[in-house]
Amino acid sequence: MTFDATASGRTIRVDVRGGDGRYTVSLDGRPIEVDHVATGRHFASLLVGGKSHDLGVEKRPRGYAVALPGGALTVDLAEAARGLSMPARPTGGPARLTAPMPGRVVRVLEAPGAEVAAGQGLVVIEAMKMENELKSPRAGRLQEMAVREGQAVEAGALLAVVG
Amino acid sequence: MSARAFRKVLIANRGEIAVRVARACREMGIASVAVFSEADRAALHVRMADEALPIGPAPSRESYLRIDHVLDAARSSGADAIHPGYGFLAENADFARACEEAGIAFIGPRSGTIALLGEKTSARREAVAAGIPVVPGTFEPVAGDREAAQAAERIGYPVMLKAAAGGGGRGLRLVASPVELLPALARARSEARGAFGDDRLYFEKALARPRHVEIQILADHHGNAVHLFERECSIQRRHQKVIEESPSPLLTPTLRRRMGDLALALVRRTGYVNAGTLEFLVDADLQPYFLEMNTRLQVEHPVTEMVTGLDLVKLQIRIAQGEALPMRQKDVVQRGHAIECRVYAEDPDAGFLPSPGRITALRVPGGPGVRDDSGVSEGAEVQVHYDPLVSKLVVWAESREEAIRRMRRAVSEYRILGIRTTLPFFERVLDHPAFVAGDVDTSFVDTVLAAGNGRPSPAIEIAVMAAAITAFEESRVKRTAPGGAGVAAWRAAGLREAHGSRLGSRA
Repeated sequence: MTFDATASGRTIRVDVRGGDGRYTVSLDGRPIEVDHVATGRHFASLLVGGKSHDLGVEKRPRGYAVALPGGALTVDLAEAARGLSMPARPTGGPARLTAPMPGRVVRVLEAPGAEVAAGQGLVVIEAMKMENELKSPRAGRLQEMAVREGQAVEAGALLAVVG
Repeated sequence: MSARAFRKVLIANRGEIAVRVARACREMGIASVAVFSEADRAALHVRMADEALPIGPAPSRESYLRIDHVLDAARSSGADAIHPGYGFLAENADFARACEEAGIAFIGPRSGTIALLGEKTSARREAVAAGIPVVPGTFEPVAGDREAAQAAERIGYPVMLKAAAGGGGRGLRLVASPVELLPALARARSEARGAFGDDRLYFEKALARPRHVEIQILADHHGNAVHLFERECSIQRRHQKVIEESPSPLLTPTLRRRMGDLALALVRRTGYVNAGTLEFLVDADLQPYFLEMNTRLQVEHPVTEMVTGLDLVKLQIRIAQGEALPMRQKDVVQRGHAIECRVYAEDPDAGFLPSPGRITALRVPGGPGVRDDSGVSEGAEVQVHYDPLVSKLVVWAESREEAIRRMRRAVSEYRILGIRTTLPFFERVLDHPAFVAGDVDTSFVDTVLAAGNGRPSPAIEIAVMAAAITAFEESRVKRTAPGGAGVAAWRAAGLREAHGSRLGSRA
């Protein structure tokens, strides 16, 4: 079974064969023998070339989150054999600023039409007792300010569009 | 004050500190009473206490900040004392006074002391009177924008703008030049009003590359006071600490002794009782300047416990019971080295933005010299309503070098899914040459972040292999399961269920 796996901005063609705990996993055509066993509902142990890796593995909408020493990585998987490749990420075009967490808009810092720099603060959201300044994802003109001061927003809500 | 043993202590807090206090009570044979908001029914602190009472809806101003609700819970449960933890009502003089008037012991200083030291400009005046050097700045809150501009001009930019009722980094702003002043005043006022219900501000001169070092003190009702040495707290993001250690790699024995003496001078002057912490900035010339006194238990108290072998929560309770301190200054020794990393539900790669959510998988480190003071268990919801502190990972070892190695080991054992945490950031700090050399000031976090976060290829490849094998196994289960419709159906199901059935098939 072949996937295109994307993690930390890197895409790798992965082929998996075998079963019952022993697999041949090819990364961009380079075969690697892997011993894999589930060790809990969200945990797995991998032995790769004699090296032991104790991991957390959990489903995500487009793949899995994998907990490694010191942090977690999201691995997006697209099954290459069926041509279900991931949609390419748009590189140009307007960029959307969304709320990373639910909260309340305490301040709107720029009005539509303003020229903004990448990293310039656009909206201040209060969440978890802190005011968090949310910054423009790119340089450009502020095309849309989708929220007003005092408004409550859910995680993922559109805040602004920079074109 | 005559000694009386408590039978039952109400813990007016939540999260890891409520769990910490409940543990101390259990060890002392004292019954503990938890209080909880509607969002916290399933929280760990409720399950760790002997009794638990609801005190209102999820927003803290309707529950954990409601003095009347907390006191009602104390009365109805028959608690004879209240431990406030940190945050919430811990430094609220009105709350301490209400406890005193209700005949319930407040495990902390007297309400008058909290009021005196809680207002930061009056604390600065007290420090000066006790002969303690303070950072140059205003000794009264500044009134309007014009007065603020004049004061900032007089002190000289850059200045720190601070909340008079402040603490915890809230309402704190660095103002580098006059053009930044008005927006900073607006932001700081609104944050201070939200956090403390008090928007008065004052100024301090911003020191260049300061170190943040604090002294822990304990004082009883019989006039005995000791200091428990220092904690180095220079590693901060948004003016809030993320890593603390003791001893400080910066202090010389002479400076350590001097700062301890300065701390005890303020304790004596104010008639301070119970646990408290004096925060200092230390400049490049190793001159200490008093910043403020926190009239409560500190988040980072475990590093002091690890190097002194003392239990600060138990000592707080014993002091509140009217007991004399069981030790003198000469009996308090600093042994070995302790480091604390605060595991916050925050994304270090996105400017430490909060990352609330359900902790779907959790495995915590253990072994020699490792302590995880946690407020959560697997399945816990990190609430948007409260502070995003998940746990405090603390290590102790004979030397600083060994403690750093041990913390690296402990961080590498931590597995947490469902929320982002500060753990990956700690890996980078612990490997950073400046941290290893003990040469960090309060701008260190920005230095580490600027260096970028390139995860090495082997970690990515291991993660990719684990994800691909898991997907492969799940598709096999689907194909062979009765009624299974193959890979397409599995994909259409949005990769949702299957995990449990796969485990079952391999058991």
